[in-house]
Amino acid sequence: MRPGEVRVSGLSWTPLGRRSPVLIGLDLNVQPGERVLLLGASGAGKSSVLHALTGALGGTIAGTLDGAVSVGGRLGLLPQDPTDSVVADRIGRDVAFGPENLGLGRAEIWHRVDAALAAVGLPYGRDHPTVALSGGEQQRLALAGVLALGPDVMVLDEPTSMLDPVTAAVVRDAVVGVLGDRTLVVVEHRFEPWLDHVDRVVVLESGGIAFDGSVDHFLRGAFPALWMPGATVPEPLAVEGRLVAPAGEVVAPVAEALVVDLVTRLLRGTQRTRAIDGLDVATVPGRRLALTGASGAGKSTALAALAGLVRPTAGSVTPDLSRLRSRDLAAVLGWVPQNPEHAFVTTSVRDEVAVSAARLGRVVDVDGVLAALGLDSLASAHPFRLSGGEQRRLALAAGLAHRPGLVMLDEPTVGQDRRTWAAVAGWIGAAADAGAAVAVSTHDADLPVDAVVEIVAGGRS
Amino acid sequence: MSAARLVRGAFLRSNPLALLSVGLWSLVGGLFVTDLDIGVVALSAYLVVVALVAPTWRYPLLCLAFALVAGATVTYSTWRGNGQELDAALVQGVRVLVVAWPGSVAIGYLDPARLGDHLAQGLRLPARFVAAFVAALQRLTTLAHAWTQLDRSRRARGLGPEWRHPVAAVRWGLSMAFALLVHALRGAGRTAVAMDARGFATAQDRTWAESADWSRTDVAVAVGGLLLGLVAPTVWAVT
Repeated sequence: MRPGEVRVSGLSWTPLGRRSPVLIGLDLNVQPGERVLLLGASGAGKSSVLHALTGALGGTIAGTLDGAVSVGGRLGLLPQDPTDSVVADRIGRDVAFGPENLGLGRAEIWHRVDAALAAVGLPYGRDHPTVALSGGEQQRLALAGVLALGPDVMVLDEPTSMLDPVTAAVVRDAVVGVLGDRTLVVVEHRFEPWLDHVDRVVVLESGGIAFDGSVDHFLRGAFPALWMPGATVPEPLAVEGRLVAPAGEVVAPVAEALVVDLVTRLLRGTQRTRAIDGLDVATVPGRRLALTGASGAGKSTALAALAGLVRPTAGSVTPDLSRLRSRDLAAVLGWVPQNPEHAFVTTSVRDEVAVSAARLGRVVDVDGVLAALGLDSLASAHPFRLSGGEQRRLALAAGLAHRPGLVMLDEPTVGQDRRTWAAVAGWIGAAADAGAAVAVSTHDADLPVDAVVEIVAGGRS
Repeated sequence: MSAARLVRGAFLRSNPLALLSVGLWSLVGGLFVTDLDIGVVALSAYLVVVALVAPTWRYPLLCLAFALVAGATVTYSTWRGNGQELDAALVQGVRVLVVAWPGSVAIGYLDPARLGDHLAQGLRLPARFVAAFVAALQRLTTLAHAWTQLDRSRRARGLGPEWRHPVAAVRWGLSMAFALLVHALRGAGRTAVAMDARGFATAQDRTWAESADWSRTDVAVAVGGLLLGLVAPTVWAVT
């Protein structure tokens, strides 16, 4: 088998605890040097194909595996969340992990480390702490770690989905710049910028291949589940007013000259970073506010401060929700965290939707909420067993089903397919129409909102 | 740069095995705490040195608080079980402080990567085990962020802690601990996939990018630990 070649034949995969398979008899051959864009709706099995290539299926990831996967030469994986691939506290040592595994000599290791760091454009020295990198820099560090292996096949799992458009372009350029004649397999939801850099598009649908062909051929096809270039944004989901109409008082916090310092207590000393520096912003009943800005500009912190989940260092938030008891806060606030798994507190989808309302003594149409979000067939499933898009929709239901008057979502559309995107857009639109004050932190310019406040390095532009 | 800052920097950069030896010698020294005077002298010596070298007071005090709880428990049970002699009971309590506190402080300042170098190259532990151990230590730093996010979600959903109701507070603590455990396990799974895809799955003769040297500072820290450990035996021998 030639270096850079990939052969997948008859691949079937059922993760532990799932009844139905994710992949069914999949065949896929990739020639050395070919650049493949792998697409599909949430839950179509894209990540499973990538994990099969890395050899993790059936081993590190438990489940039932059938069929054959072979990869010629060395493979390098860039995961979706760059923090998952950090193995050391200094960047030089982190990049050195791969060469160490190859059993290289010390001189060759550091030669490769320095070359990889230069190739991805990280200007810091070997001893720079990994925790001090921004999101885009972390993804470039992960890329350097892959590059130092000298891979024949590079596999990228949504490498830019967590980044704002400008930072995403920097990471994409870094990938294209180091690619050379290596084989590439890349998965991405908002894939348009990749089309110039790939030769072939493969679309997965319910565990098999729905399309396999050139970019030109792909662009002439119709794929309603995918973010096709030039396609209009999805129609926001129609949500009944009774599911979102505020059940209690509507509060709309206003921040004035807001300053928030984030304190990280490490044993080697306390790090204090100014996340927000003098921000004025107001939520308004019946309106949707978007806090935008580059990755790391502080939009999530600003949202949390408005929600009373972070205390201001200086300035004011009125009314100050951070003084409320948890139950009183829930009566007015609905919060959807960026990572859906942080939201889950029960062991079934149904309980997850009901628990906050039960705590407040409010009556909620759980089945109506689940049906509106397309989760009705999963009511008894465990929240951790859902696909990424299903988890995001459940987190939305879990945080907002108790009909709060203040609705806040942290990065709700990152890495989401069109169906989940439509659910988020529809839910916040209906909530605002019903009189709720809505605020989201986002770098998605397509999400329909009424007002946009751009946060630039802690302040307002 | 002041002398204190020089000492502090040297302590933070020092060899992890030298740091561990500080705890080991305190263990040996604790055996010689046979009366209250010896215990107080030995503990004072450690207090003075920690005050000089630790970069923040928070962490050593936290360790001291835990050690005090352990010491108080031992003192009380000795007092109850040993004919209610306060002096003898206090000696046992102070001994626990001398044995437990210095080591727990020193462990907090270990550098994971350097510890790995020394475990693998100095002590010849299996390379795969050491590499996985170091990566796991590295992941600990992400847990603080996860805790914040889990806490925010629970608070906003009306499931936050209620300190006025002890049962509810305990239930909240257990729920948070379990959620953090689940988070850690899932994160560890993803990290394992990422590590394997960087050659870890097929690593046979793993090498190490940095050597495991003993510098003069490292030796000085180890000797300092030995001298501190010798305080109790010395006082014991003299009196």
